[in-house]
Amino acid sequence: MVNTKEKHRLVVCSAEELQEGNRQLIEVNGVEIGLIRAEGIIYAFRNSCPHQGVPMLYGSVVGTMLPSKPHEYVYAHHNEIIRCPLHGWEFNLKTGKAMFSPDVSIKTYEIKEENGEIVLYLDKEPKQVTRKAFSCILSS
Amino acid sequence: MVTPSTRTSGLIDCDIHPVLSDFNELVPYLDESIQQYMNIGKFAKGALAKQNSGSFKFPSSPYANPLPVPLRADAFPPNGDIPGSDPAFLAQDLLDRCNTTYGILNIGHGTMAAFHNVEVAAKYTSAANDWLYDKWVKSDPRYRMTMEVTPLDPAMAVKEIERIGKRPEIVGINLHCVNIPLGKRHYWPIYEIAEAYNLPIVLHPDSEGTGEYAATAGVGPASTYMEWHTSLGLIGQRNVISLVCDGVFEQFPNLKVNFIEYGFSWVAPTMWRMDKNWKALRHEVPWLKMLPSEYIRRNIRFGTQPIEEPARPKDLIEIIQMIGAEHMLLFCSDYPHWDGDEIDRAFLHFPQDLKDKIFYHNPLESFRF
Ligand code: FES
Repeated sequence: MVNTKEKHRLVVCSAEELQEGNRQLIEVNGVEIGLIRAEGIIYAFRNSCPHQGVPMLYGSVVGTMLPSKPHEYVYAHHNEIIRCPLHGWEFNLKTGKAMFSPDVSIKTYEIKEENGEIVLYLDKEPKQVTRKAFSCILSS
Repeated sequence: MVTPSTRTSGLIDCDIHPVLSDFNELVPYLDESIQQYMNIGKFAKGALAKQNSGSFKFPSSPYANPLPVPLRADAFPPNGDIPGSDPAFLAQDLLDRCNTTYGILNIGHGTMAAFHNVEVAAKYTSAANDWLYDKWVKSDPRYRMTMEVTPLDPAMAVKEIERIGKRPEIVGINLHCVNIPLGKRHYWPIYEIAEAYNLPIVLHPDSEGTGEYAATAGVGPASTYMEWHTSLGLIGQRNVISLVCDGVFEQFPNLKVNFIEYGFSWVAPTMWRMDKNWKALRHEVPWLKMLPSEYIRRNIRFGTQPIEEPARPKDLIEIIQMIGAEHMLLFCSDYPHWDGDEIDRAFLHFPQDLKDKIFYHNPLESFRF
C-alpha cells in the first residue's frame, strides 16, 4: 500500500485472476467491493444495491435499451450495464448511475491494471482488507 | 441482516417458491396415463422435442420475464440447478439468514390451474402436492405448505382436500384465479370444506395468462411483461369485489382468503367505492348485512410483497391506516423470484408494533397453525 497524493493504492489481485468473465470480491474497511472485467474493461463497485441491499456482484452484465420513441427499441451500452440480481435495476458500470435516474447510483471506484496487477485507488486509507471467496453461476 | 435483536417477534414467511428441477421428479407420483400424456418417465420421446408436434406443453406464461436471470441471481444452489430447487440450500440461504420461524411453501410452476384438460390438471396437482410434501416439508421442521387444488373442478378439489387436508404441515389451500369470479357458487363446495378444516384459501398469481381458462386482465391482452405484471392487482381487486358481493362471507363467516402478491394499496379506494354503492344498491345484494369494507377487514388478508414504493415511503403507512389493514397484512419474501422483498430493507419505515403483526401475528392467525 502506497499513499499517492490523495488516493490510496491497493493491489487487489493479479490480472490473471480477473480475466474476462471473472468476478472478485474484496472487503475494505468493512465495505465490500466487487470487481469484474467485461469486454476487456475492469470495473470496481460497491457490492450492495442501493434499493434493498443485495450483493451486486451476482448481477448480470448486459446491454440495454436507450430511452426512445414509443414502439422503438434502441440497443446500446453493450456489456456496460450491471443489473441488480434481485429486482433488476440497471447501473452503468462506467458512471455507477442507474438507467432510470441519475440521482440513484452505486458507488464506483477507480481501478487500474498496472504491471499485471489489479489496483484500486481509494479515497480512504485501507486499514482492514480481506479477500473473499466468490463464485456464482454467471462467473467463469 | 436481521437478527433476533432487531426483531421482537417470530417470523412467518408466507410466500416461498420451491420448483421442480425436472418434470420427471413427478414420475413416482403419477399413474402411467398421465406420464404418457406428459411424455415423461418411460414415455419420454425426444424425437420431436424441438417441434412440439403432439408433445405435451406445460402451460407457461407467454409473458416471459425479460430479465437476463428472471429469478434471484444470488439464489442459485451450489450444484448450479435452478433457484428454489434445493430444500437444504433454501433453508440455509433464506430461513437461516432471516431467522425465519416458519416458511410457507407455495409451489412454483406446480400448477396447471387454467389448463384445458382438467383430468390431467387434477392428477398433476395431486402429484405436485405429494412431491412437495415428501421432498420439501419432510426435509426441515420449519417448512409448511399450501396444497393446490383444481379450481375448474370443485368436486375433485374437495376430494383432494379430503385426501391430505388434515395433515398438520398443510396450512392453506392454494386455489388460483381462473376466469370464474371467486364469489360464484361454483367454488362454494371448496369454501365449505376449507372453512370446516380451518384452512384459508390462498390466491397467488400463476395461472394468469397461462392457460385456456385464465382470467382476463381487464380490457385485453398486455403488450409487455411489465404491463402484465402491473395489471395483476386488477385481478385481485375484481375477485375481492366478487367474493364480497356474492355473499361468500355471509355463507362462510369464518373463511379466510389470503391474496398474495396482488398488492394492497388499491384496497382503500375499492372499499370506499363498495361502501358507497352498497348504501344505494343494497337491495340488489340484500344478503350483505354490513358494509362491504367490514367483510373485507374480517375475512380477507393481503401479502406485503411486492412492497409498494411511493415516493414518500411513509405514504404507505398512511394507506395502511386508511384501510385499517394493521391486522390484515402478511409478510412474504417471494424468494427466489425477481420481485421479492428483503425483510431488513422493505419495512424500514414501519413502526415496530406493525412489523410484529405483519411478520408473525397476522400470519399465525390467518393460516392454520
Ligand atoms: S435490491 Fe437491487 S434492485 Fe432491488
